Amino acid sequence: MSSILSTQDVVVRFGVLQAVSQASIEVIEGRVTGLIGPNGAGKTTLFNVITGLQEPTAGKVFFDGKDITNKTPFKRARLGIARTFQKLEVFGSLSARENILVAAEQRKTWDRSGFDPAKVCDEILAKVGLSHVSEFMVGTLPTGTARLVELARALASNPRVLLLDEPSSGLNEEETEEMAALLKTFVEEGLAVLLVEHDMSFVMGTCEYIHVLDFGVIIAEGTPAEVQADSHVQAAYLGTKTEEQAS
Amino acid sequence: MRLKVSPRLISAIVVGLVILFLVNKNWGGASISAKTISSFLVVGIALGGIYAITAGGLVVTYATTGIFNFAHAAIGCFLAFCYWQLTVKQGLPTVVALIITLFVIAPAIGFLLDKVIMRRLRDAALVVQLMVTVGLMLTFMGITLTIWSPKTGRSLPQFFQNTQGVQFGDVTATWHRIITVVVALLVALGLRFLLYKTRLGISMRAVVDSRSLAGLTGAKPSIISGSSWALGCMTAGLAGILIAPETGLVVENLALIIVVASAAAAIAQLKSIPMAFIGGLVIGLAKSFSAVYLEWGKDWAYADEAIPAAILFIALLFLPMARLETGKIRITKRTERLTKPWEAALGAGVMIAIVGAWANGWIPWISGTTFGERSTVWLGRGAGFLVLGLVMLSLIPLIGWAGQVSFANYAIAGIGAVLFSHFGGQNGDALGIVWVMLICAPLGLAIALPALRLKGLYLALATMAFAEVADKVLIRHPSMLDPSATGVLFKPVNFFGITISSSASDRKAFLMFLVIAFALLFFMLEMLRRTRWARRWIAMSDSPAASATIGVNLTTTKMMVFMLSGAMAGFAGCMIGLQRGALSVDSFPLFAGLPLVLLIAVQGVRYPVAAFMGFIGLASFPALFEVLGKPSWLTAIELIGPGIAAIAMAYRPEGAVFYSGRDLAGLLPWRKDAREEKALAVAKEREQNIGKDEIGDMGLTRPFSADKVAQLDRVLDITDLVDEHKMAPTGGAS
Repeated sequence: MSSILSTQDVVVRFGVLQAVSQASIEVIEGRVTGLIGPNGAGKTTLFNVITGLQEPTAGKVFFDGKDITNKTPFKRARLGIARTFQKLEVFGSLSARENILVAAEQRKTWDRSGFDPAKVCDEILAKVGLSHVSEFMVGTLPTGTARLVELARALASNPRVLLLDEPSSGLNEEETEEMAALLKTFVEEGLAVLLVEHDMSFVMGTCEYIHVLDFGVIIAEGTPAEVQADSHVQAAYLGTKTEEQAS
Repeated sequence: MRLKVSPRLISAIVVGLVILFLVNKNWGGASISAKTISSFLVVGIALGGIYAITAGGLVVTYATTGIFNFAHAAIGCFLAFCYWQLTVKQGLPTVVALIITLFVIAPAIGFLLDKVIMRRLRDAALVVQLMVTVGLMLTFMGITLTIWSPKTGRSLPQFFQNTQGVQFGDVTATWHRIITVVVALLVALGLRFLLYKTRLGISMRAVVDSRSLAGLTGAKPSIISGSSWALGCMTAGLAGILIAPETGLVVENLALIIVVASAAAAIAQLKSIPMAFIGGLVIGLAKSFSAVYLEWGKDWAYADEAIPAAILFIALLFLPMARLETGKIRITKRTERLTKPWEAALGAGVMIAIVGAWANGWIPWISGTTFGERSTVWLGRGAGFLVLGLVMLSLIPLIGWAGQVSFANYAIAGIGAVLFSHFGGQNGDALGIVWVMLICAPLGLAIALPALRLKGLYLALATMAFAEVADKVLIRHPSMLDPSATGVLFKPVNFFGITISSSASDRKAFLMFLVIAFALLFFMLEMLRRTRWARRWIAMSDSPAASATIGVNLTTTKMMVFMLSGAMAGFAGCMIGLQRGALSVDSFPLFAGLPLVLLIAVQGVRYPVAAFMGFIGLASFPALFEVLGKPSWLTAIELIGPGIAAIAMAYRPEGAVFYSGRDLAGLLPWRKDAREEKALAVAKEREQNIGKDEIGDMGLTRPFSADKVAQLDRVLDITDLVDEHKMAPTGGAS
C-alpha cells in the first residue's frame, strides 16, 4: 500500500474567487479514495488540476513520487492517470467499440508490451457489460450506458490511477450497485481509484478513505466512520443529509 | 509565470525585428516631417475608426450570442445599399434615411435572423455555426448584387461633403472622417456601457453561457438574443454607411472588410470592445503608415493588402493558449456505421460509371444532343467541376473528421497550380505532381500553425486571412505567376498512355482520368475512415479534453490531418492547372473558395461521397441554364442559392448525404440496424427537446436583484466557474 498520487497545497483562483485553497489529498494503490463536498466545493476543479486540464495557481501534483505539475494532460495520461467526466465527454460520433478502441490504440504509443488493441477492447467491453451495444454510436445511447462507455475508455489506457467524477449520476439503483461491484474488482486488481460522488450510501459503501472539501478547503479526512462523526462535516455538509437518511 | 513570459518575449522580439527589417528594406524615402506625420495620423485614424466600428459590432455579436458572424460586413453592405436607395435614389433627407436604415431595417433583419436561424445554432457544432454565417454572407452579397446590379456605378456622398473640413498641420481632415472617428469612439463606449452597466446588456452576456442562468435576470431569453442580433446589425449598418463613401459602393469591397475586422476582433480576443477599437486603430494606422512611408516595389505591389492578415497572425501568436474545456460537448443525433470495403469500392465504381457514361454520350443530354458524343465544351466544363470536387474531397478529413474549419484549401490548390507550372507541369512531367503535393503538405500545416493551440474559431479566421493573402500577394508575385505569361503554362502530361491536358482533343481522356483519380481518392478516404488515424481525429473533434486524458497529443494529431489535407489540395491544384491550361493572377479569389466549403458542408462534410454530390450540384447549374434558356431568375438563384442552402444547415446540420443515406438504407430489408438506430436517434432527440423546454420555462419569472447581477457578472468574466458556482453553495447537498 503506497501513495501513488498526491496533491500538495493546491490553490486554484479564478479572478477573485478561490475555487481550491491549499488542498492536499493522497490516493493509495488498491483502495477507493473518496472526495466529497457540497456543490461548488471545488471537487471537479481539483480533478482538472490532477489531470492537467486546469493549471493550479499554486501547489504541486505528484505521481509515483515525481512532480507532474507542469506536465501536459496527454503526458499524464501516458504515465497512467485516467478519468471520467461529470458531464459526459464521450466521442459521440464513434461507436461504443471505437470509443474504447481509440484509447487502446493510443496506449500503443507508450506501452510496448505488445498487446492487441482490438483484443483488449473486446475484453473491456465484456468486463463492463457493453458487448451488446458495441456497434451503436455513443451519441444515441442512454446516459447511463454512455457513462459506462466513458469508464471503459478510461480502463482501456490501462491506468494506475482512475479518477471517477460522479460515476453514479444518471444510473438507476441497479446500475449503481453494478458500478460499485465493478469498482471493487478494479481495486482488487491493484488499481487506485479516486471518486467524486454525491450518492452518500455509494460513497460510504465503497470508499476506504474520504477527503471532504468545502469552499475549496479540505475540512476533514479519514475513514467513512470518522468522517461521518466529524462535527465540521456535519455542519457544512452531512448534517442535513444524515437527518434525511435517518428519517 | 517566468516560463510563460519568455516565449512571448522571444516572439515579440522576433516580430519586432521582422517589422523593422521590412520597414527598413521598403522605406519609400519620404521624410519624417510634421506634414507626413500628420497625414499618416489623419488617414490612419480615420481608416482605423471604420475598422473599429465593424470590429466592435463583431465582438458584441460574439460576446452576446457565441456566434462569430462572418456575414457582419455583408449585412453592413446591404444596409449601405438600402441607405443609398433611400437618399440618393428616393431623395429622402439624410436623417430620415438614417433612421429608417439603422432603426427599422437593421433591427428587423437582426430579429428575423435570430428567430429563423441563429437560435437553432446555439448548440450546433462550430462547423455548422461558421458555415451558416458564411452562407449568410454570400446570401446578403447575392441579394445586394441581384437588387442593385453591379453594372451600374453608384456612389454614396460623404457626410458634409461640401464643407471645408478641419486643418491638421498641412492635412485636411474631412468632416466625414472626423464623424467616423467620433462615431467609432461613441459606439465603443456605448457598447461597453450597454454590456456592462445595463440590465439588458448583462442578460445578453449571460445568455451565452447559460439560458437558465440568464433567466435569473428576469428577462426572456428570446428577446435577449433577438436584441443582440438587432444590435449587431445596427453597428454593421452604421459601419457600412460610413465606409461606403470611402471604398465605393461595391459589394466585394464592403464585404471584404470582414477580413480586416476579424483581425481587430482577434486582437480583442473576441471579447473586449475597447480592445477591438484599439485593434481597428492599429490596423488603420499600419495601413496608413505603409501608404505614406513605404514603397513596396513592383514585385510586392499588393503587400498593402496583406497587412491586416499579418496583424491577425501576429495577434494569434500572443493569444493565451486555449483551455481544454469540458462540459461543452454536443451530443450528436447522428447514426452511421462504417462503410465496408466492398461498399466503398462499389461507390467508386458507380462514380466512374456515371461520369464515363455521360462523357461517352450514353446518357441523354440537353439541347438537341440527346445521345452521342459530348461536345468538347461540355467535356471541359465537366472536368472543371470535377477538379473543384477534388478540392472538396480534401476538406473531408480536415473539417469533417478532425473538426478543423479551414477556408484556405482553395488557396492552397491555387498555389499548388502555380507551383506545378514551375515544377514539372511546364515540361509535362507527371513527377511534378508529387513535388507539388510534398510542398503543399507542409504549407497546409504552416497556415494552421499559429492557430493550433487556440480555439477552432481562430483557425477559421487565420485560414480566411491566408486565403486573402495568397490571392492578393503570393500568387501575384512575378516569380510565382508572371503576369506577362498569358499562354498555356502546362504541357500535356502522360499517364500510363493517357494524355491529359486542356486541349480539346484530350478532354475526354482527361475527364476519365479525373474521375478515376477522384474515385480512388474517395476509396482511400473511406478506407482511412476505418483506421486508427481517422478514429483519433474524430475523437479529438468530439471531445478534445477527453482525447487528451487518454493520451492523445492534440498538436501532432492536428498536424497530421493538415498535412494530409494540404497534400490533397495540392493534387487538386495540379489538376486545376492542367484543366485550365492558363492561369491568371485573379484565378483564386477568396470568394471563389468559400462556396466550395459551403457546398461540401451542406452535402455532409463527414462523408466522402458528399464531394461527389457537390460536383453534381456544381454541374447542375450550367446544365439548367442550357435547358431553361438562361433565365435571369436562375442567375439570382445561382447568386443566392448556395447561401440559402448553407442556412438550411441550421435545420439539417449533418448534411444532405446523411439524411438521405439514412432513410435510403432504412428501406433496404437487410438494414435493420439503420432502422433501429434511426428510431433511437429520434427518441433521443425528443427526450432532449423536452429537457430544453423545461429549462426554458423554468426561471424566467425569478426575481432580479442587485446582488444576483453582481454574482452573474463575476461568473461571466470567469466562465469556467459557471458549472461549479451557478448554484450558490447553500450548505446542503443537492
